[in-house]
Amino acid sequence: MDKELELMIGGPQGSGLDTTGQILTSSLAYIGYGVISDREYYSNITGKHSYIHMKVSPARVPYDLSYPVKLLTAIDAETLFHHYNDIDEKGFIALDERGLDTNLEKIVTIEGFTKQMIMDDLKNRVGSTILRDLVQYLEDDLKINTIILNYKEILDKLVDKYGVAASLASRYMSSIPMGVISGLMDIDAEAIEYGVRRRFHGRERIIEHNVFLITTIAEDIKSVYGSPLKLPKPTLDMKEIMVVSGNDIVAMGKVVGGLRFQSYYPITPAADESFFIEANQNLGDDKGGVVVFQTEDELAAIAAAIGGALTGVRTATATSGPGFSLMVEALGWAGNSEVPLVITYYQRGGPATGLPTRGGQSDLLFTMFASHGEFPRVVLASGDHEEAFEDSIIAFNLAEKYQLPVIHLLDKYLANSIATIRVPDIDQFTIDRGIIYNGNGDYVRFDTSKTISPRAFLGDDVIMWHTGNEHNEEGHNTEDPILRERMYRKRMEKLELIIKETPKKYMYRYYGPENPEVILLGWGFVKHVSISAIKHLEKEGYKAGYLHLKMFMPFPEEDIVNILNKVDRNNIIAVENNIMLQAAKATSLFTGIRIDRGIKKYTGRPIYLHELLEALRDLLNNRNKKEVVLTYGS
Amino acid sequence: MVVDIKALRTEVWVDWCPGCGNFGILNATQRAIAELNLEPNKTVVVSGIGCSGKTSHFINVNGVHTLHGRAIPFATGIKIANPELTVIVHGGDGDLLGIGAGHFIALGRRNLDITVVMHNNGVYGLTKGQASPTLFRGLKTKALPQPNIQDAVNPIALAIASGYTFVARTYSLNIKHYVETLKMAINHKGTAFIDVLQPCVVYNDIYTKDFFKERMYILEKNGWDPVVEPGTPTETIEEKIKKAIEKSLEWGDKIPIGVFYHNKAVPEFGERLNTQIPNYTELPPAKQKIARDDGKPIITNSDFRRLFSRYIVTRR
Ligand SMILES: Cc1ncc(C[n+]2csc(CCOP(=O)(O)OP(=O)(O)O)c2C)c(N)n1
Ligand code: SF4
Ligand SMILES: [Mg+2]
Repeated sequence: MDKELELMIGGPQGSGLDTTGQILTSSLAYIGYGVISDREYYSNITGKHSYIHMKVSPARVPYDLSYPVKLLTAIDAETLFHHYNDIDEKGFIALDERGLDTNLEKIVTIEGFTKQMIMDDLKNRVGSTILRDLVQYLEDDLKINTIILNYKEILDKLVDKYGVAASLASRYMSSIPMGVISGLMDIDAEAIEYGVRRRFHGRERIIEHNVFLITTIAEDIKSVYGSPLKLPKPTLDMKEIMVVSGNDIVAMGKVVGGLRFQSYYPITPAADESFFIEANQNLGDDKGGVVVFQTEDELAAIAAAIGGALTGVRTATATSGPGFSLMVEALGWAGNSEVPLVITYYQRGGPATGLPTRGGQSDLLFTMFASHGEFPRVVLASGDHEEAFEDSIIAFNLAEKYQLPVIHLLDKYLANSIATIRVPDIDQFTIDRGIIYNGNGDYVRFDTSKTISPRAFLGDDVIMWHTGNEHNEEGHNTEDPILRERMYRKRMEKLELIIKETPKKYMYRYYGPENPEVILLGWGFVKHVSISAIKHLEKEGYKAGYLHLKMFMPFPEEDIVNILNKVDRNNIIAVENNIMLQAAKATSLFTGIRIDRGIKKYTGRPIYLHELLEALRDLLNNRNKKEVVLTYGS
Repeated sequence: MVVDIKALRTEVWVDWCPGCGNFGILNATQRAIAELNLEPNKTVVVSGIGCSGKTSHFINVNGVHTLHGRAIPFATGIKIANPELTVIVHGGDGDLLGIGAGHFIALGRRNLDITVVMHNNGVYGLTKGQASPTLFRGLKTKALPQPNIQDAVNPIALAIASGYTFVARTYSLNIKHYVETLKMAINHKGTAFIDVLQPCVVYNDIYTKDFFKERMYILEKNGWDPVVEPGTPTETIEEKIKKAIEKSLEWGDKIPIGVFYHNKAVPEFGERLNTQIPNYTELPPAKQKIARDDGKPIITNSDFRRLFSRYIVTRR
């Protein structure tokens, strides 16, 4: 894994970082590299600091991010103030000459507390808060190579060559980091053009300008520095590579899985999924299309999805914490009235509006228990883009087969990170619609003679009733104690069926040696950083495994007990992006195995490999220590 | 198939208080469904929560008894997913204009072809008589400990302002008027709202049968013309809107019932969806196949590559 490259691109929101990230990722995929690209940004449209953190690998699809990085390219002066600690010794930074005299003290887009922290550190170590002095310090003390360019002069080349209006030239800013990276990594002109074309398809003039700019910068960089960050030839065995964000791949999975009606109310980091579906909603003349319906609020979003589901359509909504909070009452209605429904839930940092654009895994227990009363539901969490695709399809199958709401949990890290993955083989999936009324004999919707009553749809040849109250077989309200007990149990029995009938890989996955001494327990996006960590630990002499939990409701108790029983209780370490160690709590609840050692991070930033390893070593060497709280990342 | 009104009753005992205006609504609704010959399996009554919310259990067509305030969005999902269904919402005044007011307004923006029937009794019946959003300030109905200090909303004006294209008022005990109004509303291709004055004999001792009987008159009898035909100039439409809203302010010695506003010129939501999805009408969500005969997704590998080619990079 040492022949991999991590790099960052930083700049203000709205300066085209996304564009750089997309072009770069496409170009790298075209060459055949595996890429993960995480985007971190403020809840702000223009002006505040944002950055892309990317890992490139010739041999695998990487998912685990780590620090320090080998290269930082900065669009503005502020970037380096945030990230000077993130760069490896002898690494590279690229900066705009015009920003060198910037005094951190004067930058208004950094909030007070952050600025003070950086100032204190700079005063200590550098003795100045001026960028030029910081750069000097990095060169002298850390032997970091600084590439100082004049961004205006570079953009002026466009003005000279193509007559682009000077006022419009700044729109090409995103090409500068791309040019620098292309030079240092030796990305050739053909690959650059490929990436640019994908981003701006058909807009020939813009393509030409960008390619010109990027290749010119790349050549200049190469002539001075060579290409010290060039990676070995790719060895990934993929001919076609999908370049997708988590939002994208979930949307694709849902469409393949049969989604034909999605209602939503906009919220970060879920809304991009609905936009994606709408942009691709027409499936073909003979196939129809997916209705994407923007509602007045999340109360309506879930209610409309339930209504649609009653007509036999695979429906879903996509939301995040605040939206799901509003959906909770209707969730119970769906559980009570046995409605198949998928809620795609992208966790962000809570509580309340919390950290709107940052990640978190703090809603697991909420989704497991949300809404009053007891009713069956599935809570299913995905750990990477490929899982997310599969789970998006499986979620619908579970929903329809067991006639209940399925909450598909993702997090912002996955939603907003772009990964290069294998093109899925659709033929590996089956659409399982569960038991459907065959049209013979009298029909009652809630036939209690079996756990799963055949489903008919509104508009079929039969009539049915649905209600949020307890009901009889027809679906009319009842308060009869015997009927109540029967209906109540019938609904809850579905949970046992799910555990019995669902392939284990959708419930949990275990990575590592068969007889581990240490088990890391995690879920969601901590998956790959944990898998990388156990590999490192192995080299350090620990036999460590990673237990990746996927299904929390119902919970595969027996299997999990069997796995966890392999190690001493003190050697189970939870790794989670929350403070309560929620997955560990859920595990304890269902298995009786108390897990109280863990590594936690709730800053809104993902868990990085370097800090996870450090924390693990700490816990493994100090057996009385219960927890380590991680805080790395700006 | 001719629908027999008796067949539109269910076996569920109608548990409203004796004398409640809801009985009139129920009977008249069944009659309208019968007269329109609506097929029970292609008809859905979607109700909210309250005394009014129980309506869906008493009519022998599909019934969806939803959550307090949410009947409209449930109905919206049903209608968009399967536009061949006739969807009728029954809600209380608290349900539709209190807890569900946001949905009430949003529906008007869409002109989706469903009918909303509001059981307007001025109180929250099922929770024992609190003031509803249609009860005027200063009034003290029977159960209120103190006179109401919140102002009433004007349902007719609100519906018109929200964009409803068929807005009417009727009276729960004037069966003939109710039936005619509901039939017009259901036949209207767009969102229809009917404000039904409904005596609550237990909690509302102000809006009683006698109160209404003395004051009600039928709008159309005075040469009232609420209809906007396609092609009507904007100024004329605006004129009709203004008149209808002005008329809706009339509440006192005289209370008008009838159609306040009826605009046939606004595109229905399905037409709007058609602009996004050209084959929505032939293949709405409920009519689409999602799996091949062998159970594999209808989206094949080659469909997938066609639909999402932008996201697939072929290595050089
Ligand atoms: C979320 C929620 N809050 C409160 C209630 C309690 N509740 C039941 S019926 C009702 C009021 C019903 O009034 P209205 O909608 O006017 O219907 P009516 O009974 O008058 O027909 C209330 C507040 C509820 N069911 N759900
Ligand atoms: S409380 Fe009022 S509205 Fe409810 S059933 Fe009794 S009379 Fe009718
Ligand atoms: Mg009421």
